Amino acid sequence: MPENDKQSLSMVTCTAPVNIAVIKYWGKRDEDLILPINSSLSVTLHQDQLKTTTTVACSRNFQQDRIWLNGKEEDISNPRLQSCLQEIRRFSRKRRNTGDSTSDVSGVSHKVHICSVNNFPTAAGLASSASGYACLVYTLSQLFGVESEQLSAVARQGSGSACRSLYGGFVQWKLGEQLDGKDSLAEQVESESYWPELRVLTLVVSAEQKSVGSTSGMHASVETSQLLKYRADVVVPSRMEEMIRVIRERDFPAFGELTMKDSNQFHAICLDTYPPIFYLNNTSHRIISLVHRYNQYYGETRVAYTFDAGPNAVIYTLQDHLSEFVQVVRHFFPPEVSGEEFVKGLPVCSADLSEELKRDINMEPTPKGIRYIISTKEQDIIVVVINYNIMPL
Amino acid sequence: MPENDKQSLSMVTCTAPVNIAVIKYWGKRDEDLILPINSSLSVTLHQDQLKTTTTVACSRNFQQDRIWLNGKEEDISNPRLQSCLQEIRRFSRKRRNTGDSTSDVSGVSHKVHICSVNNFPTAAGLASSASGYACLVYTLSQLFGVESEQLSAVARQGSGSACRSLYGGFVQWKLGEQLDGKDSLAEQVESESYWPELRVLTLVVSAEQKSVGSTSGMHASVETSQLLKYRADVVVPSRMEEMIRVIRERDFPAFGELTMKDSNQFHAICLDTYPPIFYLNNTSHRIISLVHRYNQYYGETRVAYTFDAGPNAVIYTLQDHLSEFVQVVRHFFPPEVTQAHHVMIITLNSELKRDINMEPTPKGIRYIISTKAGPGPCVVKDPNHHLLGADGLPKKSVISD
Repeated sequence: MPENDKQSLSMVTCTAPVNIAVIKYWGKRDEDLILPINSSLSVTLHQDQLKTTTTVACSRNFQQDRIWLNGKEEDISNPRLQSCLQEIRRFSRKRRNTGDSTSDVSGVSHKVHICSVNNFPTAAGLASSASGYACLVYTLSQLFGVESEQLSAVARQGSGSACRSLYGGFVQWKLGEQLDGKDSLAEQVESESYWPELRVLTLVVSAEQKSVGSTSGMHASVETSQLLKYRADVVVPSRMEEMIRVIRERDFPAFGELTMKDSNQFHAICLDTYPPIFYLNNTSHRIISLVHRYNQYYGETRVAYTFDAGPNAVIYTLQDHLSEFVQVVRHFFPPEVSGEEFVKGLPVCSADLSEELKRDINMEPTPKGIRYIISTKEQDIIVVVINYNIMPL
Repeated sequence: MPENDKQSLSMVTCTAPVNIAVIKYWGKRDEDLILPINSSLSVTLHQDQLKTTTTVACSRNFQQDRIWLNGKEEDISNPRLQSCLQEIRRFSRKRRNTGDSTSDVSGVSHKVHICSVNNFPTAAGLASSASGYACLVYTLSQLFGVESEQLSAVARQGSGSACRSLYGGFVQWKLGEQLDGKDSLAEQVESESYWPELRVLTLVVSAEQKSVGSTSGMHASVETSQLLKYRADVVVPSRMEEMIRVIRERDFPAFGELTMKDSNQFHAICLDTYPPIFYLNNTSHRIISLVHRYNQYYGETRVAYTFDAGPNAVIYTLQDHLSEFVQVVRHFFPPEVTQAHHVMIITLNSELKRDINMEPTPKGIRYIISTKAGPGPCVVKDPNHHLLGADGLPKKSVISD
């Protein structure tokens, strides 16, 4: 609970995770409420490696709402930000008016100062809007006393996939049926402890060109891709059921294959958009090729890729195969020799690669194709709440 | 008519064109009869720039069927070749048995020697199976006297898109409904003289890797792409109607946009295949980008791309825009060696260059072939152009070492 007695300032700090979709969200049925055309499912990544930290301070002395992102003051009038602030305040007032006094909500009429940082570089192209908005919304809710069940809708209106970052482990964002979007919410499918052997590698690819942003990209797809409606209406519903089933069964080969297929179908929709959108670059293609050849060598799906709206690869695998696959990546994508570590995050043991494996994969190495690798696993959401008293009233 | 009096050898030489689909064929409903899951439509290119030439000789003295392709003897037992030979012979015998004596068909029981060359390099990655099989089937039909209406089905069984190379201009290959494929045939939509301003550029891209072949690629797509059935059942039928309409109306912007969309959807299906197939490489993406920016600069679709199962771009445009667009391509894809082009050299305006705003990609494009719509297969009358000698073997000039 924020400390708020005679002092003029309340402050709360929280952290929130990144999530990586295995069944992709791409396309809205309502642009204002950010309601998707299909459900989606993601894995929440561990915050030790990737997270957003946000501090929100609230004081009657603040003249206006202000926000700093990664050290730079940004425009608070951004409609998505406004949406989150308004919604949280609305829920908070509703709570105050019903006389619920378990939290001090007098601050809701005051202005807020928001400061947010990521522990991963923006230049890495890792989607930070999900963790960013989830963190903002969660922190505001802690400050203003809003119940967690309502947060999905608020986070969603900041950035669609942000609602999935409100939970740990395996999370689905249900499409919903209502026009007002009240049933378009995220919920946990299974916690991170359900499948402790699962590992996630993010391969940060050297990107030459700026990609088309997600919001305009998915809008163009909805407007122009004739295949997208079929994907949303027919393909995704059955894939969601299948994905939930294979996660519950901890069936990695099935999980991996479905993940790769959905990533590919998402990029197929981008290609079926007019003008076409290319998020995968040459290195991305080579990573895809490497994964298929690696799996073919072992005769089973041991490793799976998924790509979002950019060239970075997220690789899912099991703990047993992690070291070898990282070595495979290092071999076929030799890093630049520099002070920067190539593998960040969870430690990865070294492993020797068999000559037969290297020969069977039969690809030319692509030096410096991958800038670095982040090794992580999923987790339950851990939110650190730090209260500060800054100055007396 | 083949020369065939007291001599033991008859010989016919024909040429046949390449065709480039604007509504793509990708996926079979019957692998043996080569029946497609959707209709397709193509433009036949002019043989002055691109063609296959085939000579077929027939003699009672030949011991066995033999075939030479681009100077090299190949395996005649290839099932697709066998299919064409058997089908042509079957039609020919049927004709003989009905007593039709307008052509000499006694040769049908003899063995044949076949020699075929393309006037474009195989390394260019230009699909030669369509022109190749069309030419083979047409030449055999001339030799054995088979009516042209039946050739579609024969050519199709050699290589699906070959049936479209049996006609000039704008050609559709109808999907058909019958299980025996008798109604899965090509027919001309409009002749090559219908739209004389239409121009075609083939941009031959430097290919680093060997692509997945069409036959196995489309098989994998049928097996694994959940989007393909929807494309075939819902999207293509309406696009075929629209394409025929915009061609008849000579509406280039609509023709261009639909062509680009179908090319992209074909490649989207390849990406939705498992494992995914990537035919477009980095240069292909840049060409696509260039076309969109060029069109955006002028606020209209002046140029359209289409890509088949490889990185080469085929560009459709109108005569008025041809020179400028070739210059644009040369500017953003500077060639290794300056080559002679039969197009006017003009200066590009700097606003256009600036607006396109792309880094040049040196040597990304190896060369450009500039052509237009052209006629269907034809017989070569001049006996000097036969590829086989009087001995039934390839002439010295044809054999490669």
